[in-house]
Formats: sequence, structure tokens, C-alpha cells
Amino acid sequence: MSDHKERLEQSLSALMDGEATEMETHRLLKAVAEDPELRDRWKRYHMASATMKGDSVATSVDYSGAISAAIDQEPTHRLSGLAVFAGSAGRFAIAASVALVAVFGVQQLNSPIGSSLLDGDSEISEFAGVDIPAENTGPAIQFPSGFQPTINARTVSVGGNNKSSQRIMPVLEFQQQVQSQVKQQYSEAELRAYLNNIMTKHSSHAALNSNQGMLPFARLSEVGSQDAVKGAGEASSEKE
Amino acid sequence: MIVPSFFKTTVKAIMQAALVAAVLLSGPLFAGQMESAQDLMARMAKASRELNYSGVFTYEHRGNLTSVKLIHEVREGNIYERLLHMDGSQRDVLSRSDKVDCLRTGDMLLRGNAYKINDDNYARLEDFYEFHIKGDSRIANREVSMVHVLPKDKFRYGYVLAIDKDSGLLLQSVLMNHAGKPLERFQFVDISIGEFSAELDSQIEAGQFGSVDQTDCVEKNRKVDTPQSMWQVDWLPPGFVLASYQSPSADGQESMMYTDGLAVFSVFIDSVQGTVLPPIDAKLGATVAVLTKADINGHQYAICVVGEVPRGTASQVASAIGLAH
Repeated sequence: MSDHKERLEQSLSALMDGEATEMETHRLLKAVAEDPELRDRWKRYHMASATMKGDSVATSVDYSGAISAAIDQEPTHRLSGLAVFAGSAGRFAIAASVALVAVFGVQQLNSPIGSSLLDGDSEISEFAGVDIPAENTGPAIQFPSGFQPTINARTVSVGGNNKSSQRIMPVLEFQQQVQSQVKQQYSEAELRAYLNNIMTKHSSHAALNSNQGMLPFARLSEVGSQDAVKGAGEASSEKE
Repeated sequence: MIVPSFFKTTVKAIMQAALVAAVLLSGPLFAGQMESAQDLMARMAKASRELNYSGVFTYEHRGNLTSVKLIHEVREGNIYERLLHMDGSQRDVLSRSDKVDCLRTGDMLLRGNAYKINDDNYARLEDFYEFHIKGDSRIANREVSMVHVLPKDKFRYGYVLAIDKDSGLLLQSVLMNHAGKPLERFQFVDISIGEFSAELDSQIEAGQFGSVDQTDCVEKNRKVDTPQSMWQVDWLPPGFVLASYQSPSADGQESMMYTDGLAVFSVFIDSVQGTVLPPIDAKLGATVAVLTKADINGHQYAICVVGEVPRGTASQVASAIGLAH
């Protein structure tokens, strides 16, 4: 192996670790453009680091793969507007954002859940932010005309977590409309019991009428759990 | 030496032409052999009910993962299903049985039938989703066809499905929102197909299987109705049809269930239970629940829409429920 090549490979490692100098980076970019072998090495490094990340955030790997595959093969994907990202830069951006979500999930996992998620008057937890409409962009996500989600609402988060365990438990957020100024006549447990009840009935129907057979019952796994019920009892929504 | 070299190039040209022709011809040939996405969906609908299979699948949403063991068997025209959560707190094992020839609205739609809504209108799955076969993959150590199901409007979500090539069983299902984000994922990690499990024998003998309501079985082009209901839904997302109706129960709850063949949502109307609850806009994984209140002749009702549909769809349905004229 020539000196030149060896130096380049050292620079490559440095770049991966974020330690390459500006000059090294320039030289590398030039060399990578010309040298397919170096390019392959670059790819392998990335694959390896992605796999390592995959170990800790298993979901990010598959999802990003699925999504970029979807983008690759679906230039006419009208609703997602993903065609914009058809370039590899776009793919990377999406993979990165998925990774971000997944990494965030892990951070949540490691943080003391009870403190923030159970705090009755905290904003919707970031955890829930995964699917807040405002976060989604593009025309496809627009609500039907004349129709808006309840923006004028206060937000209560109820975490069904068990403080003694490190296992993450489901978070149920609901928005309670401000106009109902009626003094609360219900308990958190009642609310959860009601939701559990209709969720169970709904799932049983979904299991008979969707493509998924018994699978919808899996959605109940957490709702019906003892921990979740206990968590609901501990949480308070008495914040006016 | 001129003639042989000329000869060589000619042969080369002919071979190239033959190659091109072969490629061109084989394209349509392969396409002809391949199952269409709709055929795959129909096969999937049939397989999930009629085959014997057992396995373990994972359910994942928002960083939560649970694993579930599933046994599905058909014996003497009855489907026996058993579902056991493998982790977390101890939960009830779910066991139930259903008639194998009871086809429901969702089945009919999935199998590609045009479903009669009224005299002028039919609901058809392909009117509301695009289906694309996206090549092959491997799930639970089995060869699968990947199918992308894209909604044609904003009222429903899309899916990434993995369907077992051999049996037609659904081995993976990822629910995708309109921004292309996965909301939840079911995936088998291990499955055996076509075998009877001794595990069910004793349970069946002991009669531990609850029977599933058969009243919502449909025949081709016959729709479910809401004969006794005082309620009516003035707006439904296009393609959704009534699949089941439960008249008011002893505790004052009646319910209607709607499906477009893939997505399902339910409407619950309570005259006792739930009426003390505030209006709710909740989300649990991929499932939304929108609860609104109605005051009819001084009587309070809670109207709740639950389903794996975008929040906007659920809210719009909830606000379109009123007294039947």
C-alpha cells in the first residue's frame, strides 16, 4: 500500500471520528470522488457505525431503511411529497431525522420518566411530539377544510409508568377542551377505564374487520396492564 | 484477416440484438407470472382466516416493544385463536372462536369485492388505496413480497406490508402516516404454518374459547344496517362502510363500526357511562380517540370515535353524528 493511500485512510478514520482537519477533508473529498475503493471503504465505515447505532436504537435502522427504500422505488408518491428527497441527500436527511426520533426515544427511556411526563401541566411531552400535526409538513397532512384540531385546548399528560421499574410505559396524552369549565366530576381512573373499555371493544372489531387478524389485540397490551392503571391513579389532572 | 473480423462483429451484433429482444420479451412474461398486488391482498385475507399457524410477533410503537404469541387454527369449520402477551404484567390470555365461513365487511373489501353502499354507490378498496409490489424480502426466515399501500386521500393511513410468498400470510405490517413516518409495526419473528398445536387441545375440550359475535357476517353485496338506532352519521370518510352495529346495551352504550377494508374505526355512543367525562382528544400509539358531548332534549350523551385513522378523520366523524331524521 502506498504512503499516499495509507495517509488517506488515516484521514478517513479521522473524518469519521470528526477529527479531520480542513485540509484533510478537502483532500479526502477529492480522492473519494476518484477512487472507488476508498468510496467503498467510506460506505463500510458508515454501515458499521449505523449498525452500532442500530444496536442501541434498533427501530431507527429498519424504519430508515424502509423509508429510503420507499423513496427509491416510489418517485410518484403523491401524498408524502417525498419525491423532493429523491436525491441521496434527502435520503440521508430522512434517515437522520428518523435516527433523531429514535435517539430521542432512548433519551426519554433513560430520563426519570415520572418527573416530566407525569407533571400534569407540562406541555404535551416531546415523546408525544412524534405525531403532533404541526410537526408534519406538506399538503397531505392538512386537515379537511373547515376543520381544525383542538388548538384551543389545554394539555394533560398521563403516564402509565411504574416508578420502580425502568421499563418505559405507555404515555397517554389527551387534550381537554377549555370550554368545559364544569367542575371535574370524574377521576383519572374513570377516564382511563372508559378509554380501556372502548379500546378493547374497538380492537376486537378491528381484529375481525382489518387485514391484521388478531394483531389489533396487541395494541391493548399496555392499556390494559396493571401498571398503566396504577400510573393513571397517581397522575393528576387537577390543574386549572 | 478482414473477413473473420467482420464476421466476428456481425455475430456480436446479432447476439446483442438477441439479448435485447430476450430482455424485452421476458419483461411482460415475468409481469404476467407475477401476482398483482390486489391478488396478494385477497390471498392474504383468505390465508389469515383459513390456515393453521402459530408464532410470535412483536408490536412496536414509539419505542415501546411488546411480544405476543399467537395460535390460529381451523377445526371443523371453526376458527380457534389464542393470544398471549409474552412480556410485561400478566394479562389475560385471549381465546376465542369464530366460524370460518363467516365473512365480514372487511373481508369482502379485502378480497376485492365491490361493496354495495346503496343503489348508486359501491366501495372498492382500490378506489381509495394504491397498491405497489416492492420486491422481495425476508421476514421470520420466510420469503415475503413487500407491498406498499398508499392512501389516495388524507382520511386514512398507508401501510407497508410483508406477505408470505408461500402461504399468503401477513408477516409484517407497518402503519405509515402521510409524512412517511411509521406509527406502529407488527412483525412476526417466528411462525410455523400448517401444523396443529397440541396446546389448544385441552383448552378446546374444556370449552375455554369464547364465541365471537356472528351477527355481522355478511353475504356478498348485503350491507349491515342500524335498524334501531336513534343516531345517524351524516358524514363518513369516502370508502368506509358500516361493518357492525351493536344496539344499546344494558349500560346504555351503542356502537357502530366502520371499515374501508384496511382501516377500522368505531363509534361509541353512551347515555350513562362516559357522560361525566370531559371532551377528549387522545392518542395512544396509532389509535386516536375523540370524545365529544351532545345534549339531546336535556339528556347528556358521550360520542366517542376510536380508530387507527388520522385525528382529523375521527374528529370529523365525531362532529357529524346526530339524531336520525
